[in-house]
Amino acid sequence: MFVTGKGGVGKTTVAAGLALAAAEAEGEAVYVEFGDGAGARRVLRDRPSGLEHVVLDPSRAVAKAAAPVFGSATLAKLALDNFAMRPLIRAAPAVRELGVLELARQVVAEHPGKRVVFDMPATGHSVAWLKVARQGRELTGRGPVHDLCAKLEAELISPGRASIVVVTLPERLVLWETLALCETVEKEVGLSVDRLVVNRVPHAPPENALADAVAMSESNGAVGEAAEKLAELLSVRDAVRKQVMEALDETVHRYGEEKGGDSGLTLLPFSSTDPTARTVAEWLRSAGAA
Amino acid sequence: MKHPVVIVCAGGGGVGKTTASAAFALALAKSGYTALIVSIDPARRLADAMGVELGTQARELSLDSGSGRLFGLMPDPEDALRNFVEFLFAEEPEALERLFENRLYRVLEAAVPGIHEVATISLTWRAIIEHEVDAVVIDTAPSRNAVDFITYPKRLAKLLGGRAVGWMAAIGKRRSVAPQEDKMGRVEQLLVRALGPVARDVAGLFSEMARVRQRFILLNEHTSDLLLRPETRYYPVASPTAAARDDVDYLINKLGKLGMTPRALILNSAFVPERDWIQVLEDSEQTTPAIDDVLSALNDERATRNRAASRITDSFSRRYPSLPQLRLPFLESVEPRSIVHALSKSFDIAALLEP
Repeated sequence: MFVTGKGGVGKTTVAAGLALAAAEAEGEAVYVEFGDGAGARRVLRDRPSGLEHVVLDPSRAVAKAAAPVFGSATLAKLALDNFAMRPLIRAAPAVRELGVLELARQVVAEHPGKRVVFDMPATGHSVAWLKVARQGRELTGRGPVHDLCAKLEAELISPGRASIVVVTLPERLVLWETLALCETVEKEVGLSVDRLVVNRVPHAPPENALADAVAMSESNGAVGEAAEKLAELLSVRDAVRKQVMEALDETVHRYGEEKGGDSGLTLLPFSSTDPTARTVAEWLRSAGAA
Repeated sequence: MKHPVVIVCAGGGGVGKTTASAAFALALAKSGYTALIVSIDPARRLADAMGVELGTQARELSLDSGSGRLFGLMPDPEDALRNFVEFLFAEEPEALERLFENRLYRVLEAAVPGIHEVATISLTWRAIIEHEVDAVVIDTAPSRNAVDFITYPKRLAKLLGGRAVGWMAAIGKRRSVAPQEDKMGRVEQLLVRALGPVARDVAGLFSEMARVRQRFILLNEHTSDLLLRPETRYYPVASPTAAARDDVDYLINKLGKLGMTPRALILNSAFVPERDWIQVLEDSEQTTPAIDDVLSALNDERATRNRAASRITDSFSRRYPSLPQLRLPFLESVEPRSIVHALSKSFDIAALLEP
């Protein structure tokens, strides 16, 4: 399961929440993050024993993935340390991404039958990552790089094996971008987006509050002025919430049609403090999305 | 040419970096600078924040008041690689044609991390010269790795400047690229074997790139000149979340490796402005139950937000005691543009630009 979305939407918390819920439902699961492990330290403090945490270091991925491509670890070292190859690999795009995907494939291969949840890097890059195997295979045509790409496609990115969860925010522009992302994933990667998680959906204010504040602002003096300020704030929030809800409705509409009934859409509430993976796991469970 | 003041706002996603950058640029323009705001954020937030369409050509934005001018630049990531190679091959049109035909180039066209940033830098230079800009605000990509691209042109220039290119180009010039060919060195054989027939395209791409090596060196100078001078002013941006705090730590560490020190922290939503009118309403006896509910929710919300914010600001003060903090208020509006205008008043340009 690849969890993706743009930066700052709460991807890490949702990915960790999904992994936690899977571990509790299925006994075992793996949560994988790329980088230094900061994500899990922040949101997964009370990790149950069934949930394994794996950190993949992209800067070491190429060296680790190169052995099968060049025939052996020794040959790989010879090639990668070459005066021309070293700067080439440092500067060439896609090489690192292939390396990281190969590490991801190894994690999946080492955990047969378990759900592995990948907390992917922010949007733009993650689509590039998922596409890179197919591009590499088509470009090379044959040879070890071709075989590596084909293996990645078959064991990691194939429909039926992989699923995609996209995390987004209830803001018009962000939602539009997210829908474009879903389309790209489906058309160019060939995977379908299983679930769209909309994070931080604002709560509705108590009914009548705005009408009461408007009525009260008719009164004279300081109280009337204060009520006017309240009415102003509530109407701003009301307008923002309406914008959000309209954008969400349109999303449900556009997205739901493709999904043939099941909208595949999960809404998570706004919280003014950082939720933990456990809180998110509970939200996801109660929304039926875990 | 007098070197412009360069301001770089960087931080993780969702911290309000674009809004803060736009407010900073607006404040600069209001205090007399010819300012340019550049967004590398692939999300179209800058256009949204300024309430106008922006693109690859710098465009002048209107100021409500003030003596300076403000330009906005927001290159489209989809055109990034094209912008980039057109800059590189400006004087080599035939090589550019060949490049567009290269199979590898056509794959790269899709998305290459780092290229959008580098292409934006070359466009930024063009805009600075064209509009005699004397202050640039760069809104980086929303990632803790946002400053990684700074060394990218250097790595490319180094690749193309070294013996490596001759070596690669030689593979491209061979009539066949069969790995068993006698004259081929060991590593050449390994590369050709690993890549298969496409090795020739890889080599071809590099020999085209080698023709324009000087342009890479120029690009590297542009990037260093904008982003690595000791006068370049870095402002990490955070909001009151633990993720944003971790991203700032990571970023400050990265900047240190580049030899740069941040000038101040910009903290978005660092406090909820006091609302005197809540007390007035609480003391009044005319409120309805719905209003009472709202008032108590507003108080709770303010307390929660302020608590979260002071946890973050305190932890920054502890860890970076000599780093000033610019604390911006939490504001609500239907129009992103009005938030930018309101926040620009919090930017005391004279104090912020003190040497």
